[in-house]
Amino acid sequence: MTETSQAVRPEAEPLKTPRPADERLTNDTWWYGPAAIIAFLIFWEVAVRSGNVPEIFLPRPSVVVVTLYDLFAHKRLLDDLGLTLFRIFAGFLLAAVAGVGLGLFMGTSRRFNAIADTFVAALYPVPKIALLPLLVIWFGTGNAFMIALSALGGLFPVLINTVVGVRQCDEGLILAARDLGASAAQVQRKIVLPAAVPTIFGGLRLALGISIIMVVAGEMQTARYGLGAKLEQAGQVLETGQVFAILLLLAIVGVILTKAQDRLGNFVDRWRAK
Amino acid sequence: MSSPDTRFEAISIEGLSHRFLSRNKPPTTALSDVSVRFPSGKVTSIVGPSGCGKSTLLLIMRGLVKATNGHVRFLYGNGSGDLTAGDAPRMATVWQAFNLLPWRTVMDNVAFGLELSGIPTAERRAKAAEAIRTVELSGFENHYPGQLSGGMKQRVGLARGLVMSPDVLFLDEPFGALDAQTRLYLQEQLAALVESSGKTVVLVTHSIEEAIFLADHVVVMTARPGRVAATLDVSLPRPRTLEMQKEPAFGDLFAEIYGLLRDEVRKSMLN
Repeated sequence: MTETSQAVRPEAEPLKTPRPADERLTNDTWWYGPAAIIAFLIFWEVAVRSGNVPEIFLPRPSVVVVTLYDLFAHKRLLDDLGLTLFRIFAGFLLAAVAGVGLGLFMGTSRRFNAIADTFVAALYPVPKIALLPLLVIWFGTGNAFMIALSALGGLFPVLINTVVGVRQCDEGLILAARDLGASAAQVQRKIVLPAAVPTIFGGLRLALGISIIMVVAGEMQTARYGLGAKLEQAGQVLETGQVFAILLLLAIVGVILTKAQDRLGNFVDRWRAK
Repeated sequence: MSSPDTRFEAISIEGLSHRFLSRNKPPTTALSDVSVRFPSGKVTSIVGPSGCGKSTLLLIMRGLVKATNGHVRFLYGNGSGDLTAGDAPRMATVWQAFNLLPWRTVMDNVAFGLELSGIPTAERRAKAAEAIRTVELSGFENHYPGQLSGGMKQRVGLARGLVMSPDVLFLDEPFGALDAQTRLYLQEQLAALVESSGKTVVLVTHSIEEAIFLADHVVVMTARPGRVAATLDVSLPRPRTLEMQKEPAFGDLFAEIYGLLRDEVRKSMLN
């Protein structure tokens, strides 16, 4: 029997062998993203050079990099960067603490939720940038204003995600904890909050992005210092190279923050790994 | 209420009824006038068609759901034959859905109950390690539940209950989510465990074989609203072995229980 079955087996082309598991686990695509960016920059550089595009419309990447260095070396751009980051993170932190706190409360107290839900529904869709005039009246145009803007932008994503995360908590886990003698406070702290962490973390990611947008936009409107202010000032005097340099810096800040969040997210979610 | 010279004798359910209220349906009566006794040191199974309220009965006994009417009493005796109601003994539950905390390792899941009651880290880790050894999971202390098979997860669930050294162990369809082979293996392990520990066990199951194989008494329930149809004694000797399922006594009891359940199962499918 075995002989016949072997004889019948067709000598077809070998199946495409799947890659071994350990090979699939190694990250061999890490350079795709950077390589694509470098290719894009080279294309940009060559196209602008060969097309004779005036620098005031579209400076070459090499000029942008030199300008950025120049801004750091001679125009104290580091101070502006620091100031902008301070405004972003101070507001983001406020949003995170208030959003998680209120969200936990809303997700667990039916009464508080009944009250707060309408406020959230009314305030969430208001474009926060539309509050600029009001915030200027209340806070002036200094740091307090910027931080308020950043906090307002970040608050709702954190709040809404926290409420969702708390509500999604598996009822069985709460029963199991109560079975083992957990108090109401222990259920909140040891079950509901950790169960909501991945969802809360998703809200924090959105919030940081919005905080960056709000602060830069606010600085463009009113400030004298900060990346947004420098961007606006450069645009007004048609320093296109500086505009691009600051945009490049904002992009770099964005990449660094996103990657840092990815790392943190992987750590927070480490129990999901197989 | 219970003085040191009395010992826990039984859980007594007296005239227990329970109704679920729901927003857009008339209230459902899950349990209707249930009276039954679970003697200490014995394994009592509760079988019944799905939806008959057997899991609800367990949650009520465990104090996690408050019954609409009736009482759960924990009876203590002093040897003279008189029984008095007293405080709840130590209890722990093993769940069909495991209900392990996915963000905690096996060790931290098993130690969770001790952590809640404020036992210092070193002590609770030592106790948890011992419970993990009992369920044959040594070496998996630092795994997360997501990395374990269903059978291993339920052994963690069992260890998490055992580490509390409960007087009463509630098992709510503990093997319902497992494949047939794992189920058989764990049933054998559990039989050996309850025989050696002498714990009071209340087992909710929809498997008649499981109800007989593990138990000293089988409580058969009707379709919703759940009532007690009969309480039967299992006369098979201990230690139990899977071979006993071939004995006539096992077959007779199976037939008797299935006879009681047959019409109830049909009813439960219709309502």
